[in-house]
Amino acid sequence: MANTSPPKSYEDFSVELNAIQKSFPGVRANSNGNLKILKGTIHALLGENGAGKSTLMNVLAGVYRPDSGEIKVHGTAQIFRSPADALNAGIGMVHQEFRLIPSFSVAENVILSSSPPVLKAKEINKQVASLADRYGLNVDPAQPLWQLSMGERQKVEILKVLWRNGQVLILDEPTTVLTPAEVNELGQILRRMANDGRSIIFISHKLHEVSGICDEATVLRQGSTVAASLDMKITNQEDLARHMVGSSPMVTQRPHKGNAGEPLLEITNLTALGARGTTALNALNFVACAGEIVGIAGVAGNGQRELADVIAGLRQAESGSVVLNSVNATNLSPQKRFELGLAYIPEDRLGVGLAPRLSLIDNAILRVYQQQRRGPFIAAKRAQTYSENIINQFEVRAGDPSGAIASLSGGNLQRLLVGRELDTKPTVVLASQPTRGLDVKGVKAIQDLLIRQRDAGSAVVMVSEDLDELLTISDRLLVMEGGHVRGEFDPRTASREEVGLSMVSNSDLTPRS
Amino acid sequence: MKKPRLILREQPLAGGQPAAFGVGLLIALIVGILLLYGAGHEPFKVYSRMFDASLGDADAWAKTLNRAVPLGLAGLAVAIAGSMGLWNIGAEGQIMAGAIAAAWVARIGENLPGPILISGMLLAGVVGGGVLALGPALAKAKLGVNEIITTLMLNEVAIRLVQWLIHGPWKDPDSFNFPLAPMLPDQGRLPFLFSRAHLGLILAILSIVIAAVAVRYTAWGYELRIAGSSESTARYSGISLSKKILTVLLLSGAIAGFAGSIELAGTADRLTETLSNGYGFAGIIVAALALMRPSGVAAVALLFGAVQIGGQSIQTMGVSSSVSTILQAFILFGAIGAGVLSRYSIRLDNNSTTQQESES
Amino acid sequence: MNEASLIGLFVAMVSFGALLYLAALGELIAEKAGILNLGVEGMMAIGAVTAFIAGAELNNPWIALLIAMIAGAILATVHGLFTVGLGAEQVVSGLALTILGLGLAAYLGKDYVGRTPGAELVPVDWGALSDLPWVGPILFTQAPLVYIAILFGVTAAFVLGKTRVGLALRAAGESASSADSAGHSVFKVRLAAVAVGGALAGASGAYLTLTLTPQWAEGLTAGRGWIAVALVIFGAWRPGRVGLGALLFGGTLALKTRLQTFGVDFSPIILSMLPYILTLLILVLISIQARKRPSPSPAGLGLAYRREER
Repeated sequence: MANTSPPKSYEDFSVELNAIQKSFPGVRANSNGNLKILKGTIHALLGENGAGKSTLMNVLAGVYRPDSGEIKVHGTAQIFRSPADALNAGIGMVHQEFRLIPSFSVAENVILSSSPPVLKAKEINKQVASLADRYGLNVDPAQPLWQLSMGERQKVEILKVLWRNGQVLILDEPTTVLTPAEVNELGQILRRMANDGRSIIFISHKLHEVSGICDEATVLRQGSTVAASLDMKITNQEDLARHMVGSSPMVTQRPHKGNAGEPLLEITNLTALGARGTTALNALNFVACAGEIVGIAGVAGNGQRELADVIAGLRQAESGSVVLNSVNATNLSPQKRFELGLAYIPEDRLGVGLAPRLSLIDNAILRVYQQQRRGPFIAAKRAQTYSENIINQFEVRAGDPSGAIASLSGGNLQRLLVGRELDTKPTVVLASQPTRGLDVKGVKAIQDLLIRQRDAGSAVVMVSEDLDELLTISDRLLVMEGGHVRGEFDPRTASREEVGLSMVSNSDLTPRS
Repeated sequence: MKKPRLILREQPLAGGQPAAFGVGLLIALIVGILLLYGAGHEPFKVYSRMFDASLGDADAWAKTLNRAVPLGLAGLAVAIAGSMGLWNIGAEGQIMAGAIAAAWVARIGENLPGPILISGMLLAGVVGGGVLALGPALAKAKLGVNEIITTLMLNEVAIRLVQWLIHGPWKDPDSFNFPLAPMLPDQGRLPFLFSRAHLGLILAILSIVIAAVAVRYTAWGYELRIAGSSESTARYSGISLSKKILTVLLLSGAIAGFAGSIELAGTADRLTETLSNGYGFAGIIVAALALMRPSGVAAVALLFGAVQIGGQSIQTMGVSSSVSTILQAFILFGAIGAGVLSRYSIRLDNNSTTQQESES
Repeated sequence: MNEASLIGLFVAMVSFGALLYLAALGELIAEKAGILNLGVEGMMAIGAVTAFIAGAELNNPWIALLIAMIAGAILATVHGLFTVGLGAEQVVSGLALTILGLGLAAYLGKDYVGRTPGAELVPVDWGALSDLPWVGPILFTQAPLVYIAILFGVTAAFVLGKTRVGLALRAAGESASSADSAGHSVFKVRLAAVAVGGALAGASGAYLTLTLTPQWAEGLTAGRGWIAVALVIFGAWRPGRVGLGALLFGGTLALKTRLQTFGVDFSPIILSMLPYILTLLILVLISIQARKRPSPSPAGLGLAYRREER
């Protein structure tokens, strides 16, 4: 039962989204997006990975055009052809990737979209400063942006919207880059803005923060609104998690035989920084054993990417260790780790795992080309046979093996990548989002390959944003949140709700077994 | 509002680059007709003279091939660097550096027998070019310093070095008002193959073939192409980027230096201030038109050689040789335009979203 | 070495400095917007030849200057359309522009080689001011383009730093996607910047044939376009510093012919290598420093911007 307040009239809503539908090639991102934001409130928009939150907000912010549905601002229907249109209507968005210029000053960044023809620095700095002061955004307008921390840069992004007198501010996962103290501060800033009559939409998955900051919450699941304008004063985290995750019946497990053997991958106390300098991995521990698939679940952005990179050797750990087949691999290069038996299927297929402008053959031999040498040359025949072997074994459908791979479909690219990595009979397989973006057949094919590898005795670590997939094929399920392993579950017995709750809370949960 | 937009084609148009090249050539020829007409000449007479002079008989071919040699080698130098995404703008200077080194060997080795002297000169050329590229190579590999500017600056330094040598320590005591370096000893000149086409032709062809084979079929070339395609893929597979950058830029400089020593021993016969003659810059154009592939460099270099020789020949008709320079530039612009169009299509955008929609 | 010859050196320093400054300023503006234009040499040559021809035919130096600037701008716009409009490689397009410019200039100027100039921009008569000690001859006996160069420099600094246009231009050069999101047309901004750069390069060329030489001959520009490119880096993309650098580099040009009169036994040719070597060192220094603070080089310099690839 949704706990909504009594119905309001048009004028009370600063923004309404009704029945928004938005699709991209092959994917229906929003099928029924509804949202009603009251003036002067902070409204949480919740949902799992892929629920459609960002897409819906990008529609509101003018970045995407909806296929159908309507947007109403202060009761009037609007059509936005660009973010500039949305901004003119008073709607501004702070994205996860900031759009700031490091060498400009704070003030220059703020006024970039709207300024007088002649810029008087003192005047402008004063105006920016007073705007900032009004809401408690303490930044120095004259300071060069590159000196600012992530939290401070976020304030500049907010200022940009305020400068255009934005009445509706959308924040996409704003707290991922903030320290706990900064999160509090943000809450206060947003409250001041709300008291001033502005509306805030707060996209998040961190339920504990959301309850502290937001007045109402709307939950999206699989592209539609499943709970609208819940009053946060009377809704608890469990209810929210249930809405987010759904209490659908258990997914069918794939048959699994045998027990796990000895640990082949041991991660101990691993700490690492993320791309933006914040701590991404926080004294993380886990083990993967022979003959098991360890699934790593979690909302995107909680350190999964960094974990994969550190294990693979593409990112340095600050402290802790990665032990591979009983060898301390913490400081070894990616190639050395490969030689120790680690295969890595990265999230970025084209761009990390595969070289887009090279041919299929060239990509197939990426790991083994040194063994295919005859003197300085790479034996062309051998390379061709090798790649044909992979094409056949892993059913990669490609026209001409010597053509550039960029024209291959996602599914075939992934088969190539996975096939290449698995062909060398690795003992540990690290797969990051291996089935993302694939069609049903492709998903099954890749899952089958990973299962087969497990049955052959390897340890498979699979990071995925698709909880159902993990519940289907993993033997053990770990949930990552905030750079820690928050909980460990047995997929055969754990409920989707419990796992989902663990993904969005910040306390270590032990499963009710 | 309709705005023209460039959309990446799913598949580049077949035969794209050679066709683009052809389009560029066509545009250039048409522009040439206009220019010649405007200057009061008969375009087709001029064109036929250009053709005869560059490709008409064995002598013409010899001249054209001699031109194509430094153009091709410079193009090769730039293409090798370019296949890793690096820009060697310093080929002009590296050619000079190679020529200086070769000339030095010729000075001290005056009395050596021919084959030894020439081998020494050519080797010196390779080293000379590599040495000039060393600074920019190290700076880029270790510090990430933009190689475009560093190689560009050293061009001017190398050219002035030649000037200084010719006006100073290497001045031929027999030249009075007009400082000249002394002529090379007879045995320090490359033998002719036919007419006046010199051995450099074989050397250039060999270099291009070796380079093309190396890039395509060796492990070294494989790593080069991976690094050029995607830095992250290179790191993923354990290729040391900084080592690759260093070796590739050094090699690029060495090839350009090689071109300089060949030019000295083949065509120039003495070290002059104009020895590099714009070949270094033209080499960049050649490499760009060949899409940074060694295999394409030969054909493009041949064409440019023909245009340059043809351009020289029409001076006796009263036509400025600058016409050929202009033609070369238009070939390039036309080819760039056509090349872009073969990879992108222009769409009049009626769809009002301003951002590409992608899977969220 | 006496006072007169020292003063003469400084006069020449300012004079040559202005030549370099005009072209460098133009390149600075283009680069600040994100476009590397290696065609400076070609645009200078075009400016030089058109100024000379216009002067010979029309006998009015100011119109000649204007025509030269327009010619430079047109040529630069070609580069702009290819690089900004079609996303072609900036390095290649710029070099093609140099080749085209030099060739076109030789072609157009063929009949004008060796002719006496039809119009000149002779030094301005400041009257009593030019009698001031030191400052008088150095500052007040210069040709109009020197003062114009200074004026342009001051204006450019003002526009870049203190106007909306300048802000948009710098944003386009630092982060085209940010400029785009803020509602500025990266296409228009970059094209305009490149065109202005071309106009200034044209003016620099005009300075050669209307004042400095004043003659037309093929190859007149003699590599000074490359010095201009170096200057922008040397001056860390700031109009004021580039101006100082221009004086320094202009000084080396002036010193070349005066070393003997100063009794210095140093090869003028080696001296003329100095600007390039210094620029190289500065560049290395910038890169080393860039580990702690952002490089002064515009972050988006040389990168084509296509919205789809964001």
